[in-house]
Amino acid sequence: MYHLALKMLIGDRAKYLMLVSGLSFASLLMTQQCAVFFGIMLWTTSHLRNMHASIWVVDPKVEQVNEVKAMRDTDVSRVRSVTGVEWAVPLFVSVQQTKLNNGNFKPIMLVGLDGATLVGRPPVMLEGKLEDLRLPNSVIIDDLAVQRLSVGRPKPLGLGDTFEINDREARVVALCKADRHFFGYPYIYTTYDKALQFAPKQRKMLSVVLAEAKPGWTHEATARQIERETGLRAFTEKEFFWATIWWYFKNTGIPVSFGTTIVLGFIVGIAVSGQTFYTFVLENLRHLGALKAMGASDWMLSRMLIVQALTVGLIGYGVGVGLAALFGFAVMEKGMPPFFVPWQLPAFTFVVILIICLFAALMGISKVRKLEAAIVFRG
Amino acid sequence: MPNGSTSGIINGNGHTLAVHVRNVTKTFGTGEARTQALKGVDFDARQGELLLIVGPSGCGKTTLLSAIAGTLEFDSGEIDVYGTALHQARAKDITLFRRRNVGFIFQQFNLIPTLSVIENVSVPLLINGMKRRAAEQKAADLLEQVGLKGRGRERPGNLSGGQQQRVAIARALVHEPRLLICDEPTSALDKDTGAKIMETLRDVARKPDRCVIVVTHDNRVFKYADRMTEMEDGRVSRVHEAPNEATLKGDH
Repeated sequence: MYHLALKMLIGDRAKYLMLVSGLSFASLLMTQQCAVFFGIMLWTTSHLRNMHASIWVVDPKVEQVNEVKAMRDTDVSRVRSVTGVEWAVPLFVSVQQTKLNNGNFKPIMLVGLDGATLVGRPPVMLEGKLEDLRLPNSVIIDDLAVQRLSVGRPKPLGLGDTFEINDREARVVALCKADRHFFGYPYIYTTYDKALQFAPKQRKMLSVVLAEAKPGWTHEATARQIERETGLRAFTEKEFFWATIWWYFKNTGIPVSFGTTIVLGFIVGIAVSGQTFYTFVLENLRHLGALKAMGASDWMLSRMLIVQALTVGLIGYGVGVGLAALFGFAVMEKGMPPFFVPWQLPAFTFVVILIICLFAALMGISKVRKLEAAIVFRG
Repeated sequence: MPNGSTSGIINGNGHTLAVHVRNVTKTFGTGEARTQALKGVDFDARQGELLLIVGPSGCGKTTLLSAIAGTLEFDSGEIDVYGTALHQARAKDITLFRRRNVGFIFQQFNLIPTLSVIENVSVPLLINGMKRRAAEQKAADLLEQVGLKGRGRERPGNLSGGQQQRVAIARALVHEPRLLICDEPTSALDKDTGAKIMETLRDVARKPDRCVIVVTHDNRVFKYADRMTEMEDGRVSRVHEAPNEATLKGDH
């Protein structure tokens, strides 16, 4: 009977297309908006991937990775003295100004790495050598910096070129690839000592202490030990990631904005599909009544409706996720807007579409269960 | 396809009954809208006969037909169809009984427009669990018998009214039901087509163990009936043996 159920569905071309369109739209909206939302959320944690370390020690008032509350330089030594800490190095992170060739200014994310170890180094080197960062005035810039800071230059910024950070000359010794920051600032790496020279002088300059646990110590246990012994706040990379994500959830309108669109996608899906499928059932009530009169049980008719609903659901899901993927491929090159699809996202969309379809089918099933087979004898 | 239940009750005249109805009542609605459609109907249909049920509009013909077919629950009384006591059976068993033993022909044909003719005819077989290919083969054979060879792949909407009714007859007969229930089968057809349909139904009724019950207003078809039951105000008022057009005065 299932092939007949499908022929009944596809035979009603207008409703079939309406159902598939509604579900495709819902699926596209939910997948695409979630993917952009996840991408933006990932941007908020770009520091963690661009300056990778197991343990991040910060001021006790810091709640997320993009907050900087400077500490004393002596705090590095205090962390080094904690039981369970293998090593600890300073890190400087701050937004600074660069001057472009045309006279304009651009903000950049200045990162100062420990000169001896270069811990927190760029994740991917594109050109040049990391070790050249120890040369005077040297910096490593990411691909976004090349794009942003080359304005007014005859050719893009490259190795050996110079530019100004807060009126001090910086020389490019290498190019790297870094994850984009939430605020869109390019990453510029230098050593901790040079970063303190580039940045305006303040009483406290240390942003973060990056640390590693001794063998036999978990990152979590070491972080807790650091907190106990120093009174500073210590996060494992994973803890800092989620603390940052939740901070943006609680303190910005981003989740509400995207959540509204995603919920709208769900509502549109459920309204269009539910309404169209219900109309489809109503218009076929006489035929369903005839099938019931001929001995089709409620269960048989219900299965037919479920097969119909799931079929349009699967097709709609495929089309919607496919369109979202096309969107993703189209924006991947530019990196704008951010687009990130973890495997849970298509699974989530699939479950939501399934719920919409089952809701639509249930509406039809409730009608069919109440349907008297005797309807076929009424004129 | 028919199941192996008992053949039916034998009445005082030695006829084996296909349908035996006693004191059946049915009321629709409540309060002021309450209407008693059947007021204690007694009715028999014999095996091997084509029986007409006639009467004015609203007299309860279709309600009685629905109750006999097992598509409508009645309030009280007894209905026995080929040995199955519908008044005692559970809804699930009645559905199963209908699936195996009852064929339907409707006034508006009730063919599914999005399915082909052959698919429409194969529906009762598929409901009975037959495989698609076998069901469509049997449906094709039956279409040939009703004169629609080669039209199986067409949609019902492409056929004339008479051809659609023949498709409906093929669908009603394809699973070899013992009881054929027909609601105004000729009212949407012209005289000649209606006559052909009635001849087909009479041929079906002649087969052993079969019974065809037809509700109709069309007095042109009275001559095809073996017997005719006349209803009035929710009750059976008269039963005519071998009726013809002159049997009844007035137009039902």
